[in-house]
Amino acid sequence: MTLRTIAILVAAAALSVLVQAQTQLDPALFGKPPVDAWPTYHGDYSGRHYSTLNQINQSNVKHLTLSWLYRANTNTPGAIAGGAIPEAVAFRLGPGALAGGLLKATPLAVDGVLYMSAPDHAWAIDAYSGREIWHFFWRTKGGDHIGNRGVGMYGGWLYFETPDGYVVSLDAATGKERWHKQIVDVRSEYFTTVAPVIIKNHVILGMGGDALDVPGWLESRDPDTGEIQWKWYTTPRPGEPGAATWPDAYAMEHGGGMPWTPVTYDPQLNLIYVPTGNPNPVYRGDARKGSNLYTASIVALNADTGKMVWYFQSSPHDTHDWDATQVPILFDATFNGQRRKLLAQASRNGIFFLLDRTTGQNLLSVPYIESANWFKGFDDHGQPVPNPDKEASKGGALVSPNNGGGQNWTPPTYDPDTGLIYMNAAQGYEIHYKWDVDGPTFGSAGHAARAVGGLDTSLRAFDPLTGKAKWIHKYQGTEWNPPRPELLGGLLSTAGRLVFAGAPGNFIVAYDPATGRQLWHAGLTAPMSNTPITYMLNGRQQLVVAAGDTLYNFTLE
Amino acid sequence: MSTSIRLTIALAVLGLVATGGASTAQQQERPNAVPSRADTETIDRGRDMFRANCGFCHGIDARGAQGPDLARSLAVLNDDQGKELGAFLKSGVPERGMPAFPMLTPENARDISAFLHTVVDQARRQRPMDPNAIVVGDPKAGEAYFNGAGRCNTCHSPTGDFKGIGAKYDPATLQDRMVNPRGRGAKTPPPPIMVKVTLPNGRTSSGRLVGITDFYVTLTDQTGVRQTFPRDNEVPKVEVNDPLQAHLDMLLKYTDADMHNLTAFLVGLK
Repeated sequence: MTLRTIAILVAAAALSVLVQAQTQLDPALFGKPPVDAWPTYHGDYSGRHYSTLNQINQSNVKHLTLSWLYRANTNTPGAIAGGAIPEAVAFRLGPGALAGGLLKATPLAVDGVLYMSAPDHAWAIDAYSGREIWHFFWRTKGGDHIGNRGVGMYGGWLYFETPDGYVVSLDAATGKERWHKQIVDVRSEYFTTVAPVIIKNHVILGMGGDALDVPGWLESRDPDTGEIQWKWYTTPRPGEPGAATWPDAYAMEHGGGMPWTPVTYDPQLNLIYVPTGNPNPVYRGDARKGSNLYTASIVALNADTGKMVWYFQSSPHDTHDWDATQVPILFDATFNGQRRKLLAQASRNGIFFLLDRTTGQNLLSVPYIESANWFKGFDDHGQPVPNPDKEASKGGALVSPNNGGGQNWTPPTYDPDTGLIYMNAAQGYEIHYKWDVDGPTFGSAGHAARAVGGLDTSLRAFDPLTGKAKWIHKYQGTEWNPPRPELLGGLLSTAGRLVFAGAPGNFIVAYDPATGRQLWHAGLTAPMSNTPITYMLNGRQQLVVAAGDTLYNFTLE
Repeated sequence: MSTSIRLTIALAVLGLVATGGASTAQQQERPNAVPSRADTETIDRGRDMFRANCGFCHGIDARGAQGPDLARSLAVLNDDQGKELGAFLKSGVPERGMPAFPMLTPENARDISAFLHTVVDQARRQRPMDPNAIVVGDPKAGEAYFNGAGRCNTCHSPTGDFKGIGAKYDPATLQDRMVNPRGRGAKTPPPPIMVKVTLPNGRTSSGRLVGITDFYVTLTDQTGVRQTFPRDNEVPKVEVNDPLQAHLDMLLKYTDADMHNLTAFLVGLK
């Protein structure tokens, strides 16, 4: 089915949507700020996590109250079951369990229904009542059940990835499986967590897994048939551009670089922005001398062909597990007197990057935390130059950030009203040790990071054009063991002059974006584990957030 | 139960205590999805056959020579009982120098696969770090730092609280605890964090800090009574006094050499 056919169908269905059981998502919603729907992981394609809604605002946010909660149902009897095998493999994190009890997915909100997912599970939830409409359960073959970041939607179809490496398409109306396709093989210890992003007639998928030094790629599949349209490998093959940044073919083919978080997209440029993960072996760089393109990089791909247009490497020759898998945030602003299409990333390695997203030209590179100590400076392209003395050593190298990073996978937010990026940033430290192992360097062998400690975790209002913090709200009590950023969840800003963020102690908090003053908070039963969304439902603005195994819906009294 | 332990437990319950080890965000748990399941005889047959036919290129341990390390081979990892591997070996990849083995039987392939999966398992189960092997510093320079730039002697003494500390902790734990004395492995509880709360009406409460967030602060006062105060944007005024603050301040200051030298000095205080 072509995009145009879908659009016609959607237009035809629009008038009768209230009497039709079948939900249809208008693909035109993807390119706009989310209002009546939250149709994709980032809300729109920009990765800003900003809403133009202002019904909930500074004057009334203190009246925000719980309207319902939904506790993730993982009972498999009664669920609609699917899978590549008849019986699920007995597995300590599932089936029937969420990874660590966490709902990490960003739900989609479309036509009064929320679509939520977790490893092996997907649910449709009535957005008015919080009641379950259907529950789909995937019979797993195994794999790392660390998380699932959400579903993608195209017309009336849903897509989600499973820990054992499949993409599954469901009928959004019934929860019944339409088809499944294998992305990666769980026997190589791949796993998949990414929320699929739908771009035109492309379902964009990625994978994770850095235990066994296996190759990584991004792929596009046909939303109707599930067939592969293109693949882009995150490391070159011999003879290709970038191959000279690896010692040999074997190293690049085993070089990792998993794209394990959702992409962003500029429809005008038709470019997908892919943040790629750490190289393999993870900590020992001796078997992969060179900068190791295109791992730990931000890469722009043509959405229709998967061909690379430009790249910027956030962590050349990474030896600290500095995934660059943080959100590439897209916005336009005047920089040094010139109007530009920009891309900003606060990277896991503690450094903020501002790029021209048309060309990939670096405009600004600056640490966004004070503790980052692993690099010597920046090269001519604005890429950090790692300090070899801060690689793992026999006596130990004291490195900040720690493994959790200054940022991790949970999205920050860009508020176009203030022009600031808001993020929960951690200043952790750890000591990286290495010792000799038998055989060639492998996975994470011969490395340990100990004595995790650190200065603090804080909420920062950060000016992406100057690289300076406008204000910093330090979380007292986070000294010594700063929480990893992703353990506080993602952020949301709105035209109601509000920023929503998780705070240590299981809180969701609303802030004044200009000053950092706290305007409202609610205690949850667990740390906020996903990214809040907001949308209009029957004339009332909703705020939906997950903590642990529970989804919370807030509205004004 | 000491305040710090209670705080640690509270943080642990909240999932806020960062864990050590080689965990990564994308893979904190590493379930052994495909454990080796072949019997010893099969593995032994596979090893013999591998060494005779494949060892020249891949090394007798299969970890690579002029041919690649097979612990990371997708043809091995994605194989079940030699089925996929057998097909691969029968045709080879001649253009990359991997010969074909047309005479290979399904039983041969199963045996070789069983052996290679033990190689993968062994490569993954590398020996752990030896916490005694990390001493690389100069103890004399460490002593000078202790009494000089590090100002450790402001609070600590080799003949007082640090007497015999080198026998109390292994070197890696000693170094860990220098960086984070409120971290794991304490043999004696660290001194508590103290807090003073001043209410808008001027009334004050002081005691050991039990826990603090943006919205609550809890302390145990001198009489052992637990008190919790709600907080709203810096009201009431909360003053935290951590006697170990100097260790936090050091994070931005000391070099790895300072750390290594200090450890070497402290390890010698048996």
